Amino acid sequence: MSSRAIYSRAGLPAAALLAFGFLGAGSLGAQAVSPKINLPKDSPVAVVSMDWSQSRATPRGGAYLVDVHASLSLRNSSSKRIRGVTLAVLAQEVTPGGKGAVSVPSLNVAPGDAFPVRIDLPLLRPIGTSQSSAPTVEVRLDGVLFDDLSFYGPDNLHSQRNMTVWELEARRDRKYFKNLLETGGPKALQHEMLDSLARQADLPRPGVQMVRGRSTNTDPEHQLQFAFLAVPDAPVEPASGTAQITANEASQPRFEVRNRSKRPVQFLEIGWIVRDQRGNQFLAASLPAEVNLAPGQSGEVAQDAALRFSPRTSIQSMSGFVSQVQFADGSYWIPSRKVLEQLHLNTIVAPSPEEQRLSHIYSKKGLDALVEELKKF
Amino acid sequence: MSSHLRETDLALFASGDLGLWRSFRIRLHTAKCESCQARGEAFRLDRERLRHQAEEMPAGVDWNSLAAEMTANIRVGLAAGECVDPRKRDARKRDPRKKAAHAKDSQKIPLKIKVNSFPWRPVAGIAAVAILFVAAFWLNFPSSDRLALSRVMRNLAHGGGGPIFQETGPVVEASSTGMELRENGSSLGVSQGALRPVAVSVNAQGSASARYVDADTGQVTITSVYVQQGDLQ
Repeated sequence: MSSRAIYSRAGLPAAALLAFGFLGAGSLGAQAVSPKINLPKDSPVAVVSMDWSQSRATPRGGAYLVDVHASLSLRNSSSKRIRGVTLAVLAQEVTPGGKGAVSVPSLNVAPGDAFPVRIDLPLLRPIGTSQSSAPTVEVRLDGVLFDDLSFYGPDNLHSQRNMTVWELEARRDRKYFKNLLETGGPKALQHEMLDSLARQADLPRPGVQMVRGRSTNTDPEHQLQFAFLAVPDAPVEPASGTAQITANEASQPRFEVRNRSKRPVQFLEIGWIVRDQRGNQFLAASLPAEVNLAPGQSGEVAQDAALRFSPRTSIQSMSGFVSQVQFADGSYWIPSRKVLEQLHLNTIVAPSPEEQRLSHIYSKKGLDALVEELKKF
Repeated sequence: MSSHLRETDLALFASGDLGLWRSFRIRLHTAKCESCQARGEAFRLDRERLRHQAEEMPAGVDWNSLAAEMTANIRVGLAAGECVDPRKRDARKRDPRKKAAHAKDSQKIPLKIKVNSFPWRPVAGIAAVAILFVAAFWLNFPSSDRLALSRVMRNLAHGGGGPIFQETGPVVEASSTGMELRENGSSLGVSQGALRPVAVSVNAQGSASARYVDADTGQVTITSVYVQQGDLQ
């Protein structure tokens, strides 16, 4: 046997084996994830089935990148209709990036019915914190919202507030579309749905990073004033606001706000809009704040936060608007559709989850299916 | 080995040009076979006679010009060989007297010029393994550390200038592909399953959210990742 034959017969398979071994070492390092679902004994939802087979944990330096891909089926074991559910997904409670949440709004689950919940999250977990060989991911129930706006759950992630706002937006939008159907007929509803789909397609989706540190670069930092959109019936009025701007980064936002309603305000959220050098406007972030403002009282809202945009983005101006208010009595205020349209916020801010769901039904199943859906409740 | 040795083996054995193992085998055979021993002895005597004859230069032969001519011919042959097969050939250095002694036998015994070629095969094998190691190392190196390393190298190349991002942990980014956990400017993972988000948002308290609409049921799912502490008690 010639030496060339020896090389070709033994060397190539050996090299191929080495290649697969080394190059596949990264994927071979991925491990299965050990799931743990923690529901209270009196939980209004029960687990019917779950599938975690697609979840993987891959070592990345000193931590696991836990790629959570799971499908759960939950059953409504209460006596009321469920409008929303929020689950907390935890790889590690204190590590940044170790905690996530999955919320399913716009539900209409009757007692005894089951509904699916899909979990797709990247989480971080330090290596060595698990007593078992496989990294553990825990799922907890953070809250359930019922059709009478009552709530169950520990509400550690403020899911009651979020789900209540989504439900109020859903009622607002369903009422609008139903009214449109009654007054203008199916054609008017169809026209509005097409407009909604077009706005959703044109919605700007720039990459925005929420950073915990600060970048130290050579560009000078300067302070930029906020311009505020006048929302006519908003119970809280922003008076002034500033942020520190450095090229494509904005940090340390501060606002002066005044409660112009007759009820004490407990919480408010401000939408932060950025205009870049090309004139494009997009919703950069939302600024929530616990304020506790008495009627007529002013206060300051500040966040120790930094937003980083694409390096191609140069911040030219910023504006803000009040997107939601929670009163001390537990009631909420959200802008009306008319106001959102007048201020052109419907081209910048994403529509409500309910509007997205209804427009999806229209696009996939047609106008008749949408009409049937609106008649349900 | 056959019953009698070949002429070429005996001649090479007589001149001491066989390897150790073959010499040993031939020695073993000639110790037992008188015919082969006699032929080998004949070759040895021929070599001796030729050596003696070669020591006496023929009259009228100018060895210097003869040597120069031979050298020139060899160089022409090597150059021609380069055109056909560009490998370096190091001709075995032979004693001119040995060359002359073998001149007679060259008609019967093919003159083998064994060349020492550059060991391409082992070098190629080592290079392939090295490339494999480098590729495996690069692909399995954490991407965050890889980009951080390249950033540091760039800064060094530029004399320490350029932006330096000093982050105190992972960042969450909301983009059209979903939510992404990043560290030192590079991606750790994306929340993308089979769907793309229909909307993304960032909360200044330290979280990012992405909305997905199920293609079959139209159900909306809002997924959030937190990078700030303190929300969960």
